Amino acid sequence: MMLMPPFNLHHPKTVEEACELAATFLANEESFDWVAGGTDLLPNYKWHINVKTHVISLANIPGLDIISMHEIGAMARLGALTTSENVHPLIASAASKVASSLIRNNATLGGNICLDTRCFWLNQSEDWRRSIDWCHKEDCGTGSDCRVIPNQNTLCVATYQGDLAPSLMVLEGTIHIIGPNGPRSLPVEEFFQLDGITRNVLQEGEFVLKVTFPENVANRSGSYKKLRVRESWDFPEAGVASSWIPGDLSSLRVASTALESIPRSHHEEVDALGNSFSKEHISQLSEKIMKSIKPVNNTALPPRYRKSMVRVLAKRSLREILGD
Amino acid sequence: MAGGYRQQPGASSGEIRKDGKRVAGKQKFPPPGSGGSRPTMAQRDLDFIPESVGGKEPQPAGSHIHDRYRTGTEVGKPRALVDSHAKVTGQAWYGDDVRLSNEIIGKILRSPHHYAKIKSIDTSKVEALPGVLAVATGADAANTFGVLPVTKDEHAMAVEKVRHVGDLVACVAAVDEATAMEALNLFEIEWEVLDPVFDPRKGLEDQDEPIHWRGKYHVGTTNVQKRVFQEFGDRSLVADPTASSHGKWRMEGVHHGFTEPHAVVAHWDPNGRLQLYTPQQVPHYAHRALSTVLEVPMHQINVIRTFVGGGFGGKSDPFPHEMCAAILSRKAGRPVRINFTREEVYWINRGRHPSYIEVKMTADEEARISGFDIDALIDGGGFASFGHVTSYYNGVLATAPYELGSFHYTGARVWTNKPASGAMRGHGAVNTRCAVEVGLDEMAEQMQVDPIDLRLANLLPPHSRTISGFRITSNGMREALERVREGSDWDTKFRQMPLGKGIGIGCGFFISGSGLPIHWDPNRFPHATVHIQIDMDGGVTVHTGAADIGQGSTTAVAQVVSEVLALPIEMIHVRSHESDTSPVDLGSYSSRVTFMNANAAIRAALDIREKLLNAAWEMLGYHPDVLVLNDRRIYYKHDPAVGVSYLQALHKAQEDKGSLISSGAYRSPPMGGVHKGAAAGLAPAYSFSAYVAEVDVDVETGLVSCTNVWAAHDCGKALNPLAVEGQIIGSCHMGLGQVLSEKMVYGRTGHLQNPNLLEYKIPSVHEMPHVTPIIVESSDPEGPFGAKEAGEGPLLPILPAVVNAVYDAIGVRIRELPLTPDVVWKAISAKTRSLGGIDETELPTPRLEHSTLQATLVARGQEHKERDRRRQRSEDTSAYVNGVLFGFDPDRPLEDQVDGWKSAVEPVPEQLAELGLAGKAWLKKEQRQMGGDQ
Repeated sequence: MMLMPPFNLHHPKTVEEACELAATFLANEESFDWVAGGTDLLPNYKWHINVKTHVISLANIPGLDIISMHEIGAMARLGALTTSENVHPLIASAASKVASSLIRNNATLGGNICLDTRCFWLNQSEDWRRSIDWCHKEDCGTGSDCRVIPNQNTLCVATYQGDLAPSLMVLEGTIHIIGPNGPRSLPVEEFFQLDGITRNVLQEGEFVLKVTFPENVANRSGSYKKLRVRESWDFPEAGVASSWIPGDLSSLRVASTALESIPRSHHEEVDALGNSFSKEHISQLSEKIMKSIKPVNNTALPPRYRKSMVRVLAKRSLREILGD
Repeated sequence: MAGGYRQQPGASSGEIRKDGKRVAGKQKFPPPGSGGSRPTMAQRDLDFIPESVGGKEPQPAGSHIHDRYRTGTEVGKPRALVDSHAKVTGQAWYGDDVRLSNEIIGKILRSPHHYAKIKSIDTSKVEALPGVLAVATGADAANTFGVLPVTKDEHAMAVEKVRHVGDLVACVAAVDEATAMEALNLFEIEWEVLDPVFDPRKGLEDQDEPIHWRGKYHVGTTNVQKRVFQEFGDRSLVADPTASSHGKWRMEGVHHGFTEPHAVVAHWDPNGRLQLYTPQQVPHYAHRALSTVLEVPMHQINVIRTFVGGGFGGKSDPFPHEMCAAILSRKAGRPVRINFTREEVYWINRGRHPSYIEVKMTADEEARISGFDIDALIDGGGFASFGHVTSYYNGVLATAPYELGSFHYTGARVWTNKPASGAMRGHGAVNTRCAVEVGLDEMAEQMQVDPIDLRLANLLPPHSRTISGFRITSNGMREALERVREGSDWDTKFRQMPLGKGIGIGCGFFISGSGLPIHWDPNRFPHATVHIQIDMDGGVTVHTGAADIGQGSTTAVAQVVSEVLALPIEMIHVRSHESDTSPVDLGSYSSRVTFMNANAAIRAALDIREKLLNAAWEMLGYHPDVLVLNDRRIYYKHDPAVGVSYLQALHKAQEDKGSLISSGAYRSPPMGGVHKGAAAGLAPAYSFSAYVAEVDVDVETGLVSCTNVWAAHDCGKALNPLAVEGQIIGSCHMGLGQVLSEKMVYGRTGHLQNPNLLEYKIPSVHEMPHVTPIIVESSDPEGPFGAKEAGEGPLLPILPAVVNAVYDAIGVRIRELPLTPDVVWKAISAKTRSLGGIDETELPTPRLEHSTLQATLVARGQEHKERDRRRQRSEDTSAYVNGVLFGFDPDRPLEDQVDGWKSAVEPVPEQLAELGLAGKAWLKKEQRQMGGDQ
């Protein structure tokens, strides 16, 4: 058992109350975190990674757990997503591959989207990190170097290992954010940003409210392929999702996760094939996607292997939706 | 006596009140010792009484000396473990469940450096922190300890230097965990950081500052902790082989992954005696080590073994944190509890050694195995632990089950600046076994013969000796192989399945109890002792020191006592937790408990049985030879109506004496050779096993999934088939982890990168194949009712079975464990490149076209089958030693009949010509030979 460090837990009852709380902490320059299911945040807290004074829980705000074909609330539990009949099959399938059933019962969509980036130099106890003199992401005030790619102190290359992001991207989801400065929304693929520290566009005090999908999302067929050593518990070592409206090659979308600090939509690679793209080009496209990503050595499997597997995962995902 | 005893007056048939409750004091009360629910004697269960004594239990392997004590009560019946109720209801008290009033929390300060000298430790700020009640450092405990008396190299806390990240530096006890953790940050330590060694190959080189210093026995100035050289047999047989295999293996270290992290509570009671609660596999060694470190006589320490949440070898060393808790408690005057986090569990480690293993083997023109040449370099980490033994086991446990023309072994264990390796299920035998079995598969392929037939034609028979002199008694190897072959439908699958699907075979051989106790005692102290006590109530209290670590040793003891005395198992109460009341037992290691402890229990029970029968003799007038014990009753063999109840006989036996008390002990017989290291691997019996595994390999990703396993294990006699099957399936799971996904990853900087159960990948239920356990019973002449071990041996064959199955599936030999997808993929890629860049899906798979040798092997296998059957059933009692297959006379010493036959444990220069990695350790001289440290 590891001792949980102390923090103040807050339970706002409405979105407005939550934003007010955040605004107050910001004004008082007090640090805080949002917590939804807690399956990512709390283990990190036990490891004393980036512990804040306050934690604001979204669990008591009604209505955030809505699940429908066109809208999923941030507090929707992944377990509920896997069993709901009213959710896009791609989302249900991707959610069912997250961690274990016990964790899925608590974990949420919002939490999975905002998953902290991971790295074996970081996700360790305080004693362990002290023994390597900390790292760039969590330097404890020492100005430590990155341990994955030494001699560069500008970029954190911790890996984003969320399972759902690529599926949300290929289904052309829109993410809705709210904060003290009001609501805003943007395509999921624009949500993720920069490196392992910045991770996404959320400003301080903002949190994810929900994800919505276009009217025709039900027409899309999709497939998510996940690489992992064990069929349970494991974060993805690589993941590729693809989707299209059957018959319409221009609607083809491919996205990948667990390879870099943010998940990526592969518009460029798909577009590069132009109108000539057909089923016969699956290998070609898979190859291009593989070449576009640059994993680093900070997860369980070596980066060269993970990169090579992107080709296989993309091929399998595309074959599944396009047919052999 | 009709109607039995009635202890309280009252209504005869359990009167019920109107409100439905029973009438207090008037419930139907069973007579004491009746066994509770059954009012009348059960019929004798002839299905569980052996043929040799008139029952119906078949005995294909022959009769057994214990047959006449069988009563059909418990032995051979599938039984839930006697402690299972406590476990499934959450009432079993593990280390962390112990709560003493007034207890405080201890925390350990651990080294942030791989290797460093401690120049000074300033604890003044720690002591000044409010809430801190005790602080201790290495200065508080100068005496060394270690599980093996020959290699005591551990301190409670670092005395001069730290040897790995996570090594213990100091400890502190405070009113709560948060205060203790805060206190850890207040130690001020001046370090002198030294150059660490991580690669065991570097450990063979001379260093400025070896990790430990062994004085005159130190090998050069290297980090070699132990080196072994052994050569037996006729090395000239190796020349001009018909087939040969040469494999260089790299095996990663693995950890036991037990559920319960270490936890200890120490308390000095009002009389000044230490009460130490700890989940220990070997409470006796902790007891000894505590006495040494604390400088307190053993009788002033009571080691209380809590329930153990899994051990697998990882809780069998005396541990420094146990000393720390005792030291802190002595200083603070209050009970101190130390609980480990999972990361601390990995830092104390004692898992399987990361190993470099090289195996060369040859077969001659008749497909006899003319030689094994094994070299094992094992990475010991920072301390010796069991390593002295492991160094031997890596070689000597490969000397069976096959008959060998020659055997050559060089082994070395080196210290590195990593957490210490130690004993883990299948201790020392697992890695080499995998390498050997895969080599045999390769030779079978070269000769184009079936690998199962190759094995069947080269087995040592029952009642024989291995090339290194181990005494083999019962041997169910052949039956195990035959049954997995049949069960798996081997003959229609092997080398016949499509790409990506494969099937493979592997065998195993393991000790059933280490023949020499670790603490060798000139006074012939027994290995195991069991006390039995029966008071007037008829309940049987059994005292044993055997540590039940989940394997069911308590159940085994209860079962054999129940069997001998013909009493229901619920009348047997086993007490095994406290060293104050338990006779000394050498612990749950080397698969010795059932064999040794149950033998001791049988002896103790026989003593009681004799007393009961004599009492019945006096009462009935019939000699014990014609009396039968059955379900709480003793009666005349030819007229069951003439008899007395168990209680009547008991009370007669108790006249003027009170409680019946007996003691039984077991000590293994003298056996084995006299050469240096001859004791390593000696056991009163050996277990044998054979597995067939079926795998699916995804050729594009390299992911291997094991789908089916047929697992045959020769456990002599399954006292409790349910427990044996559980051990087989559990072993499969654990071995599968090592072969497919588990490894302790030491990264670029030498840090353990995955000290948690997310990144240390133990297979989940999804990875678990369907296992068909097959129990083989060869009836061991010295085992309790014929039983041998089933806890470790069944782990061995799963590794080679899977590796061989992967070869069958994709035609690529991989000699790197675990077979994580990246490793398999890399091997596949190399193969496709070598074949001109073909697609993975076009890989050729190996096929088998029987050569002429196949018929030779089948014929020899048949002949040997008959030989083995006769020997097993004692129809043939002639001597048999390894070498007979090569034409030697078993009645004459081999040295006398063959010129080249050797038995060497110190190398001569020409034996050092071709050296493997570990063999290089023999190029160095010991300090005493160098004129250095004397």
